[in-house]
Amino acid sequence: MSSKAAPAGKDKLIDEDEEVLQAVILADSFNKRFRPLTTRKPRCLLPICNAPLLDWTFESLALAGVQEVFVICRSHAQLVKEAIKESKWSKPGSGMKIVPIMTAKETFSPGDAMRDIYTRGLVTSDFVLVMGDLVSNIRIDEVVRVHKERRKTNKDAIMTMVVKESGVRHRTRARGESSVFVLDRETSECLYYEALTGYPRNNVVRIPREMLATHPEVEIRNDLIDCSIDVCSVEVPSLFQDNFDYLDIRRDFVHGILTSDLLMKNIHCYVAKDGYAARVQDTRSYESISKDILSRWTFPLVPDDNHPGGHIYEHTRGNRYIAKDDSVVLARTCKIGTNTLIGSSTQVSENASIDASVIGQHCNIGAGSTVSNSYIFENTVIGANCTIERSIIGAGVNIKDNTHIAKGCLIGDGVIVGPDSVIQPYERLSTRQGPPVNGNDDNDDEEDDSDLEEVEASMFLGDSASDLDISDAGSISSDSDSESDFSDTDSHAELESSAGRSDLSLPLDMPSIIPGSGLMADSEFRIEVKQSLERAFSEGHSVENAAVELKTLRMASNVPLSRVKEAVVAAIVEKIPIVDGDPAVQRRKIAAVVGRWGELINRIGGVDPIETVCILQAHCATSTRMPLFGQILAALYQEDIVEEDDIRAWHKLPIAQGEGRKPGPETENLQRCLTIGAHMIRQFDEQESDSEEEESEDEVLKAGKVVAKPVKVEETPETTEESESEDDDSKSSGDVSKEADSTDVEEDGESSEDSEE
Amino acid sequence: MAEVRIAPQHRSVEILASKLRRRSIVGSRATALETLLVLRQVISKARFSNINQLVEIIRSVGRRLVEAQPKEHSVGNTVRKVLHHIREEYQTATRGTSTTTQTSFSISKFVLQGQPKRQATVPKTEIRGTLRENDSDDPDSFARGLKPVLMEAIQDVLDELETVYDNVAKNAKDHIHPDEIILTLGMSRTVETFLKTAAHGRNYTVIVAETAPSYSGREMAKSLSLAGISTFLVPDSSIYGLMSRVNKVILGAHVILANGGMFAITGSLVAATAARAHSTPVVVCAGQFKLTPLWNLYHEYGAHDFGNPSDVLGFEEADLVDKVDVVNPYYDYVHPDLIDAFITNDGDHPPSSIYRHVFNRLLKETYDDEDNEL
Repeated sequence: MSSKAAPAGKDKLIDEDEEVLQAVILADSFNKRFRPLTTRKPRCLLPICNAPLLDWTFESLALAGVQEVFVICRSHAQLVKEAIKESKWSKPGSGMKIVPIMTAKETFSPGDAMRDIYTRGLVTSDFVLVMGDLVSNIRIDEVVRVHKERRKTNKDAIMTMVVKESGVRHRTRARGESSVFVLDRETSECLYYEALTGYPRNNVVRIPREMLATHPEVEIRNDLIDCSIDVCSVEVPSLFQDNFDYLDIRRDFVHGILTSDLLMKNIHCYVAKDGYAARVQDTRSYESISKDILSRWTFPLVPDDNHPGGHIYEHTRGNRYIAKDDSVVLARTCKIGTNTLIGSSTQVSENASIDASVIGQHCNIGAGSTVSNSYIFENTVIGANCTIERSIIGAGVNIKDNTHIAKGCLIGDGVIVGPDSVIQPYERLSTRQGPPVNGNDDNDDEEDDSDLEEVEASMFLGDSASDLDISDAGSISSDSDSESDFSDTDSHAELESSAGRSDLSLPLDMPSIIPGSGLMADSEFRIEVKQSLERAFSEGHSVENAAVELKTLRMASNVPLSRVKEAVVAAIVEKIPIVDGDPAVQRRKIAAVVGRWGELINRIGGVDPIETVCILQAHCATSTRMPLFGQILAALYQEDIVEEDDIRAWHKLPIAQGEGRKPGPETENLQRCLTIGAHMIRQFDEQESDSEEEESEDEVLKAGKVVAKPVKVEETPETTEESESEDDDSKSSGDVSKEADSTDVEEDGESSEDSEE
Repeated sequence: MAEVRIAPQHRSVEILASKLRRRSIVGSRATALETLLVLRQVISKARFSNINQLVEIIRSVGRRLVEAQPKEHSVGNTVRKVLHHIREEYQTATRGTSTTTQTSFSISKFVLQGQPKRQATVPKTEIRGTLRENDSDDPDSFARGLKPVLMEAIQDVLDELETVYDNVAKNAKDHIHPDEIILTLGMSRTVETFLKTAAHGRNYTVIVAETAPSYSGREMAKSLSLAGISTFLVPDSSIYGLMSRVNKVILGAHVILANGGMFAITGSLVAATAARAHSTPVVVCAGQFKLTPLWNLYHEYGAHDFGNPSDVLGFEEADLVDKVDVVNPYYDYVHPDLIDAFITNDGDHPPSSIYRHVFNRLLKETYDDEDNEL
């Protein structure tokens, strides 16, 4: 239907519905959370419910009608390749063409992989990008349809991220890697993204204020599972190529695209209401996804129906799944609890009890042993009278009699434990002693191997906040404040965690949100801006051209917006020639300069008049042009660069009052500016009172008095700004209700002071 | 050997198998139709030089498909039916030269083949020449000779499937009388057509239970009321309460088992039990392709086809997901003694003969014993 709508050939990306749907799987996890289980094989080949993760991912994609898959593998690439070759997917009639792509060892991040995709020219149209650890039954084809539909009208919508609604404390949400999404309610465009890492936690996320001005209704959500299913257009790999410092798809790419005001690309979200999708990101999500599979949330991807490994299980009461080929031997006195999966040829001896666990194929559980909430891979032998709690046991492990394994342990392949030993919680055991035995070069790179020595030391208690320890994660205190961490708070609205939606939590050590390319020295930047503006002034550039030049400069030197603004305001003020003795001429000069260049202040990005006035005040206080402050402000007002409300708001700011500064000539100047502002406000009030009733005149009087002495109502500058921004944008949705509250507080404060007067 | 022979057709079979596994096709009739199309493709491409080879090819395809989705019984049924037709055609064909003229019924033939059938006695295309199996000079001659007949046989099955709703409904007026109150649940095309056919020139009332958690009853109620039938949509909880006023319960079936029991949408067992308590007759409308020569003697748990818990409990209910085990069966097993009559496209079967007579007769007529285990 759509092939006729778009001119044929021109937009090959969008028009053909018949087109082969391609998918790219990044089969490498780029981290080591599953060590030592992943020393000998890649994470995507770890079994979950007795089928390799990669097979679950393939099945999820097949369910969505994907026809061609590229598997990007790095570590143990040969193993992945063989696994794909042997799997049912490479047989005829599987309906899916799978191409393993081996990338260089130098690929250290998803970003590198994307650049590799670009250089190889693998994708020819919109494609689905997933990780090699996905379990999903979401109709991705539906998302692709929505994405293509959107692309028809908006060429800049380059990506659609699939997110799944879930509760805040959902077991399947990886506590380690959740993120805050700010979405436009109408278009579900993702306006802002911030990734959270699990530890340490933080309660603050900063959202650019400009966003609220352009989008009347926003949703700030921390209750979404990020499934890492992205429908990308072909531009995405090339964007990675252009921005060679992007490493992570979320933290760098999405964050970068959304905060960039040069690229002008949009990213959308698809909030999946039905269906299931989750990623095995760490041992904790491994556990919860296993449970989700066993309790059939992934239907039809369930063990007895469409097991990706091709095994056949019989589903019996209480979600017990026993392999159907009559090879399982269960002793008469053994107890099999609910939500359990037992692979074929496994033997469970007398009085053994298994609860909420997954037992692989060819395992042997000894008499009287207890296995609960554990995941045991194939060919593992467990002796008599052992207890295993909440652990992952690799393949070919031999656990001898009377061994106790406490919660959170990971036992690597081939380990022999016991007899009569006790393994402490969160221990990790692997077989390799000393230097790596395996000299194979398609094994891990050196970095990983050296890392292994630490694993041998095997106490990984502390860092496992994102791991299997369910009980610990909640107890991490959440009151770590980080307000001083960000220097550019001025341009950000701050949002404290509100109980309503979710616990917004942020780590302190945000890894490289701003790629650490090093800030250019401040002074250097100032000089650059000054020169650039001087050139613009003298050569008479248009305001647009000057603005573009400044933006580029800002990008190049990577400084916050407020710096640029300061520099621009300073340059404009300094441009005004001082005329002695003739106020009329002076005023004309000011009007000329502000009229010509004032707009530039708003053009460089982020309209924020209050900040403008603040900067002006601060500059004038240190400048020889101090006496001109009032006139410049008036000129700005005339040019509509600042409004009446902005001046009032500025006047109330603690910064404007000179709070927090050392007393000195500057502070006096600041106070003087403030008085000039007060004059102006009085003038506004007088103008208003002409048309209004008597009551307002009282207010004028009060306002005048209030001005006389410093007002102490607000606690932090941010809160106030926020409330102002709310004023600017009266249509803000209920999601930002907290702001409304703060406005109330402020008004209350004022009125109480009024009554004192 | 058979494995090698079916290799070329593997593709369509595999595609259907994966579709079945992934539940891209649901519904008995849809699956039956798809299976039939695949079988037709397989037969048209198959190379065989005697009947046993052909049967083996089809059985292996059937096995593959049934394995892929054991809960969708209409797949196996279709394969059995096709096998039955193939043998029948083969017998007519090989006997053809000598016995086609002999149209009268002998008692021995009756015993051999069961009751005389409409289609079977009418010879299909005249087969040119004689069919010779295992012809070493021309191994394909057997296939060449038989294939057109087989295609026609499959077409017959196809036609039957396509007209099944109307054929089930043709006697609807004998079952629903004016001013009766009928209770039904779920969305079954068979029942829908049945009720709509009965509504021509007759006024009666239908109560449709919502049928949680699929709420397919809502769709049914909408469709019926659009057809001008006075319809009530009630919550499932009121089935028992309303039963005293209901004259007849009409249910659809997912599969009818050899003992006369059936699998039907969740809630059917509740409705049938409530009906038994009030001695309300329970009538099941189903196409003949749903009859299966299988049993549910051990009340296999997995046969209820447990679906996604999210229909019952939202996934976003994070606290509950951890603590609550949700059981969401799609089907109920209804015992034979709760059902009073089956209405099929092959006629109505009175309650007294469901168990022994009807099933022995029907199954014999439709499938061959040797195919019960594919």
